[in-house]
Amino acid sequence: MKTQLKSSLNAGITFGIVSLFLYLIGFTTTASQIIQNLLKLKPASTVLGMDSLTFSFALFIGLIGLWAGVNQARSQKGQPFGTVLLSAVLTGLVHGLIVALAAYITGSLNASGVKMNTYLSQLLPASVKLFLFNQTPVLGALSQLAFLTLTALVGAAVTYGLMVSNVFGKLADAWRSMWKQVNAVPAIAKFRASPYFSYVMYSLLLLVMVFVPLRAGQYWNYTLGTVGIYVLLGLGLNIVVGLAGLLNLGYVAFFAIGAYTVALLTSPAPHGLVWNFWLVLPLGILAATLVGVLLVVPVLRMRGDYLAIVTLGFGEIIRILSKSDALTWLTGGPKGVNNVGGPVLFGWVFDDVSYLYLIFLSVLLAIFVTRRLQNSRVGRAWESMREDETVSRAMGINILKHKVLAFAIGAAFAGLGGVLFAARNQFTGPEDHNMMVSINVLSAVIVGGMGSIPGVIAGAFVLKGLPEILRELENYRVLAFATLLVVMMLVRPAGILPASRRKFEHENAPGNEGSKQ
Amino acid sequence: MIVALETRGVVKQFGGLVAVNNVDLVVPENSIFSVIGPNGAGKTTFYNCITGFYTPEKGDVLFYGESLLGLSPDQITYHGIARTYQNIRLFSTMSAIENIMVGEHSRLNASWAEAIIRTPRMVKEEKAAVEEARRLLNFVGLAGLGDQAARNLPYGAQRRLEIARALASKPKLLLLDEPTAGMNPNETAEMVAFVHRLRDELGISILLIEHDMRMVMGVSDRIAVLDYGEKIAEGSPTEIQNNPRVIEAYLGKPMSEYEA
Ligand SMILES: Nc1ncnc2c1ncn2[C@@H]1O[C@H](COP(=O)(O)OP(=O)(O)OP(=O)(O)O)[C@@H](O)[C@H]1O
Ligand SMILES: [Mg+2]
Repeated sequence: MKTQLKSSLNAGITFGIVSLFLYLIGFTTTASQIIQNLLKLKPASTVLGMDSLTFSFALFIGLIGLWAGVNQARSQKGQPFGTVLLSAVLTGLVHGLIVALAAYITGSLNASGVKMNTYLSQLLPASVKLFLFNQTPVLGALSQLAFLTLTALVGAAVTYGLMVSNVFGKLADAWRSMWKQVNAVPAIAKFRASPYFSYVMYSLLLLVMVFVPLRAGQYWNYTLGTVGIYVLLGLGLNIVVGLAGLLNLGYVAFFAIGAYTVALLTSPAPHGLVWNFWLVLPLGILAATLVGVLLVVPVLRMRGDYLAIVTLGFGEIIRILSKSDALTWLTGGPKGVNNVGGPVLFGWVFDDVSYLYLIFLSVLLAIFVTRRLQNSRVGRAWESMREDETVSRAMGINILKHKVLAFAIGAAFAGLGGVLFAARNQFTGPEDHNMMVSINVLSAVIVGGMGSIPGVIAGAFVLKGLPEILRELENYRVLAFATLLVVMMLVRPAGILPASRRKFEHENAPGNEGSKQ
Repeated sequence: MIVALETRGVVKQFGGLVAVNNVDLVVPENSIFSVIGPNGAGKTTFYNCITGFYTPEKGDVLFYGESLLGLSPDQITYHGIARTYQNIRLFSTMSAIENIMVGEHSRLNASWAEAIIRTPRMVKEEKAAVEEARRLLNFVGLAGLGDQAARNLPYGAQRRLEIARALASKPKLLLLDEPTAGMNPNETAEMVAFVHRLRDELGISILLIEHDMRMVMGVSDRIAVLDYGEKIAEGSPTEIQNNPRVIEAYLGKPMSEYEA
């Protein structure tokens, strides 16, 4: 009982702090506005006797209250109904007290004319009023207390009911048994096991990739293109980090080399070379690979953290060099390079749709190469290195050679990505290649699932596509995004689509690529 | 007699500590040779000197007459020596079969370029590699567990998988470091039979570190005893059992009573 009491208090305090934090940074107001928009409520309309924004706010804070209750019920799994409710009420009360106190204090200050937004910029009078449900400080605080306690109670009761009746378990069972039955149909089982299944899936994917760019419009094609380039980068880094287990934090350097190669060789300034894009494309990949190999050989004897720090520094050095005034004659300096040449085929200039096709094609190529390498002696050597370098070496694996190989292929993908990026934007400059690129790509690999190709794709969508979708959140984009990442890592610690292992023992055709997800 | 492995005056020091001191050893081909000794006697360190993990300060290690000194562990594997580890060191997230296939690395040739193009030669080699891995899986009695992640296998199975992985390089000499550690008497008896099979069916020589005296006495052709890094005795199991220095090293108990 005592431990339960303690856990209820702790949970209440945690939720209280979270709500307080959201309030102080003004997120409660923003979230209410978003809910109002999502529900398509007119600002002037009233719902349940409240104006629509207050109603939206009640929904938002109510959700947090419910969550506290759900959380409490889940942590008290197996306890009797009374205990669960009691602990939820306690959590709700503590949560409510903290929130009510904050509401009362800020409300009173606001009422007596103190301008709190001079100290905390987001505490606008309107926000404070909204936090009090547009009522007097006393009434508003009491409403918060009552409301948060009530929602915790409701959340806990509903969760208890769901847990006892095991609704989700039954649903999952039903789904599984249905899936089993479907697969038991001989024709379907045979189809799924045959290589045609993967052909059909790939054709469907191909159709989507052909038709989406035609319909999506320029803005989304641009966004999809960025996602595609990040998939490319992610696939490269996936080989280095996910397969070979080498933490490379300066991955952006190879991206920069690809971008600058195409920029400097195809732009009229500063060198006036204006070479053909198709000639420069392989040159960019080659340059990135070469630099990757040359720079990495001396560094590779280092392990883990040291390698990470050195590569991090290397990424920054490339950027600083490209920015330096002394090298402006070579790199275009801080202003970057304009008028980068794009692809032209038989006199026909690529538009957004065909350029997106080019990116898709590159991604497919990278997937192809990754899969073939992964399912080979080289891929196995990489993975064993990641697991235990010492033992891997004792298996006869030349560690240095395989590390260089992983770096080189990773750099090649990044070089290709850089070429495509600069040529599409018709511009490249130092700020295209800051550390955030490395961090973002690494996040995509980790969030998606290390070592997994579908994972990298999903990760790139989350990292580069989602922020575009979250544009509505404006200032809170980063916050929402960070929250999302944290939640995702808690819910799926191995990534969204973690790597699945290839089956060998019960596979009839060894080396059959279609059998690996 | 063909000599598989010979060490001459091998010395390995860690700072002031002499972990292996002047050890001479001659392992005849196709024999089971055991190295025993109390905890910290330097047995594992001795293995590390043979397999290239450590470079001995003094002495030489000869494998079929050829010196292994200065070779890296991967090169030594190519010469035909494979080992297992005292604390199991499998590639834990990889499947059992994949672990064995990593063990086959030194026998395969496909380069990265061949892997991307999938040349007929590479496809053939890969197919044979899977076949061989399955065969080894069967050989160590793990058929049906091939697609399990190594870390999900039961303890005894992990020990056997480690042996299968070592065998995958088709070694001429196999170094086992306490293969029965943590096993019950039944499993230990199985392991004894299995070690015999390794020698008889595969014709390889075996160097064995072992604490379980019953196992050592039952399985070995010859035994060497290390104590504080020095070889204090060598001989047949009966000779070792009756050697007074050995009895002293093992706390004065008669060997027959000693079971670690
Ligand atoms: N890398 C190292 N650095 C310093 N000292 C070491 C190192 N490895 C081993 N030692 C020391 O060398 C001595 C021999 O160790 P070793 O592991 O070879 O013994 P062992 O005979 O295998 O013992 P056990 O039966 O416990 O496995 C021990 O005193 C150990 O502490
Ligand atoms: Mg040892």
